[in-house]
Amino acid sequence: MPRVFKAALLAVITYLPLYFLSTFVSPIKPFFPWYESLTNIFAAVFIFFLVVGVFSSGTVFQYVFGVARTLALMVFFIYVLNGGIITLTVPVEGASINIVLDVTVVLAMLVLICLLGIGKNVVQAIDFMSSKAETKEI
Amino acid sequence: MRYAVRALGWATKILWIFIIVFAGTSVYSAMNVRMGFGEPQVFLSSGFVILSIPLFVNNSGFYDLSELNLTVDAVDYNGSLVSTSTTFVPLIPRGGSVETEHNVSMSLDDITSEALNYLFNDTIFNVDLSMKVNFARVVPFQVSMNKTIPWGAPLYNFSIGQVSYDYYNLTHQRVVVPLSFENHSPYFGIDGTMQVEIHNSMDELVGSRTLSLNVPSHSRYEGQVELIVDGSKFTESGEVHFSFETSLFILGPVVIPYG
Repeated sequence: MPRVFKAALLAVITYLPLYFLSTFVSPIKPFFPWYESLTNIFAAVFIFFLVVGVFSSGTVFQYVFGVARTLALMVFFIYVLNGGIITLTVPVEGASINIVLDVTVVLAMLVLICLLGIGKNVVQAIDFMSSKAETKEI
Repeated sequence: MRYAVRALGWATKILWIFIIVFAGTSVYSAMNVRMGFGEPQVFLSSGFVILSIPLFVNNSGFYDLSELNLTVDAVDYNGSLVSTSTTFVPLIPRGGSVETEHNVSMSLDDITSEALNYLFNDTIFNVDLSMKVNFARVVPFQVSMNKTIPWGAPLYNFSIGQVSYDYYNLTHQRVVVPLSFENHSPYFGIDGTMQVEIHNSMDELVGSRTLSLNVPSHSRYEGQVELIVDGSKFTESGEVHFSFETSLFILGPVVIPYG
């Protein structure tokens, strides 16, 4: 039962930033029509891995799901930031304004964070397995 | 192994905090950058018509703006480059502001040779405006715009009517040249002088006159130029040469045959 509460709490805590981000970007949503559906899919996948990870805690699978969750996050960042080059076309009085934002450095940092997260989960999984093996030997 | 996990955990947390703070302050800073254009001025300088557009940037954010590059390219309907201009501001520090002028210049020589067409025929210019700036030195940002601008010729449909002549005295003749054109330009009026010369069929100058012109934009000029010419040299056919000297361009001679 505490796992259910923990999973529910983590799901709510995870969803809140996405909800506020959605509200924050609502004025410019018409320029990114794909954003909302993409965010919802991502939120569903991320929360799924989070909940499954909580339920599988105490096993090696929690780290597997941790890696999957971080990979989903990394793919989401790469996709939502369009590989680091965000382009936007705004029609204004018969003309169109093209906006190009190069966030490659920011994306590189986000990918680095995700890779560190994956590395951490892998090291934790190795540690977990070796501890388990040691316990068996004793 | 535990230390490695702990170190990776801390590194991740520190990077997350850094990136969240950077994202938040970047959005706040971007919202506090004010940029605008002033009233454009047109003036003449060293044989160039210069359109000067005041530009100001007020950076009240947390980060520097660097390498601001504003480029305006104008091409005509044939794709020929009419004008290109660039303004570069190396740095706009945080809390600072910059006032500069973006100058779009066009050579008068170009007007009188290659782009003579623009004085007599309406056309459409395709203007590409591009502005690049480096935000916080790590996020390059570019805004570009393409707009078509209709160009109204200041001497549209420049033509002369039937040239008439009669005897002024025993040695000279009075020649009347009806003249008309329309100033289609929405930007400037024609204010200056026009010299009219009559050349006979042997291309000899037989008479000339200079008169002042004042034709506001979007208005039609219709008048008659009277010249007293040497009766012995005047022929029933020949050429009328027009030369203009206005506040915006010097042009001539424009040759139109008569008779």
